[in-house]
Amino acid sequence: MPFREVNSKMVEATVVPGQRMYSQRGAMLAYRGDVSFTPNIAGGQGGLMSMIGRRVADEATPLMTVEGSGTVMFGHGGHHIQVVGLEGDTLYVEADRLLAFDGTLEQGTMFMGSQGGVMGMVRGQVTGQGLFTTTLRGHGAVAVMAHGGVIELPITPGRPVHVDPQAYVAHHGDVRNKLSTALGWRDMVGRGSGEAFQLELSGSGAVYVQASEEKL
Amino acid sequence: MSGSDRERVHSGGACPHTHPAQYRHPVAMFRLQGSKVLAVDMTGDSVKAKNGSMVAYDGRMDFKKLTGGGEGLRGMVTRRLTGEQMALMEVKGQGTCYFADRASEINLVSLHGDKLYVESSNLLCTDGGLRTGTSFTGLRGGATGNGLFTTTVEGTGQAAIMSDGPAVVLRVTPPYPLSVDPGAYIAHQGDLRQQFQSGVTFRTLVGEGGGEAFQIRFEGDGLVYVQPSERNTVGGDV
Repeated sequence: MPFREVNSKMVEATVVPGQRMYSQRGAMLAYRGDVSFTPNIAGGQGGLMSMIGRRVADEATPLMTVEGSGTVMFGHGGHHIQVVGLEGDTLYVEADRLLAFDGTLEQGTMFMGSQGGVMGMVRGQVTGQGLFTTTLRGHGAVAVMAHGGVIELPITPGRPVHVDPQAYVAHHGDVRNKLSTALGWRDMVGRGSGEAFQLELSGSGAVYVQASEEKL
Repeated sequence: MSGSDRERVHSGGACPHTHPAQYRHPVAMFRLQGSKVLAVDMTGDSVKAKNGSMVAYDGRMDFKKLTGGGEGLRGMVTRRLTGEQMALMEVKGQGTCYFADRASEINLVSLHGDKLYVESSNLLCTDGGLRTGTSFTGLRGGATGNGLFTTTVEGTGQAAIMSDGPAVVLRVTPPYPLSVDPGAYIAHQGDLRQQFQSGVTFRTLVGEGGGEAFQIRFEGDGLVYVQPSERNTVGGDV
């Protein structure tokens, strides 16, 4: 695990030669040793095609490559940071919530419509997350930002978890998500309970939920 | 006599833990997950929560807006007139429901037949059996910028209140009254009298005040919840 939590809003990463890391541009707070930061025009890994893919998908966040030897501290906007360890599975997260991640992880973009069909696309629109999301796969660690603290809720088969779309941060594992609606006539006349749309996650894995309904 | 009234008479203000047999209805279990997320375990019973404050749940839940905070027509009219608006929803079901609001710190309050006074904006969730209402606060409200009325929660059960930063609970006893900055006050419970006091002097009038011109003074026996942050108040500037 290259990330060490300094406090709830700062992480410290160890950089060794030959191993690169990616982080959100401008998220470095301090560093020790000989470390270089280069802006990454491609916005992450992959060649020209993945760069175009991310631009089209609007999942392109300004990233920078961190290389050298030393330790770097990351933090951004006073947001809480959750370190997620991946052991071969896939993490689904919005690109703007990514603070830093291991270079060994394989970065990709996923089309929401491929999971849940039309409802998946509706889901992206309703939650304001767009039609695409970022995936990270492999062995390594990811630092994810959230407003307020984060709780991890396990998802087991036969026991789905429902999440408020605005409080959803990320999920990993073999999880299917779909948008479930509880729209009634009350919502139509403006007397809804404020919980008309929910994200239903089923399968096996875990979902990260933040203690706030504010987007970053 | 309605069901909730009967239950209240049975428990008679005593601690509910000593009389478990008298609880006929299953009671929602409140617990904190971290300091900013409230988890409520429910088995078919209901809780009242701030509109839109659910962040996640497992099991099966129903959400219904309570028009007028479930206080009936009279309560609804009172809330409209006093401006102490409160949008509540009723959550009912089986499973665990998680509540949070704008990353505020959450404090659990147990009520044993006594009354909790709290600003409606600081109330997150209450047990389904508790009754809510409005009461007049007097001059204090004007200085806190919260209006002249406040929300009361009454009965036996648990409630969750929110604060900006972790709240401290200060005990007030007859020989030791307490003065609180109106901007940092969030709630109080017990048999307390409150009094508005001002330290406006010649210096304040010429713009050289210490920024602490107004305080609320609590006397009696009870608890006061204070947050480590100050809202913008009229009195805060002078």
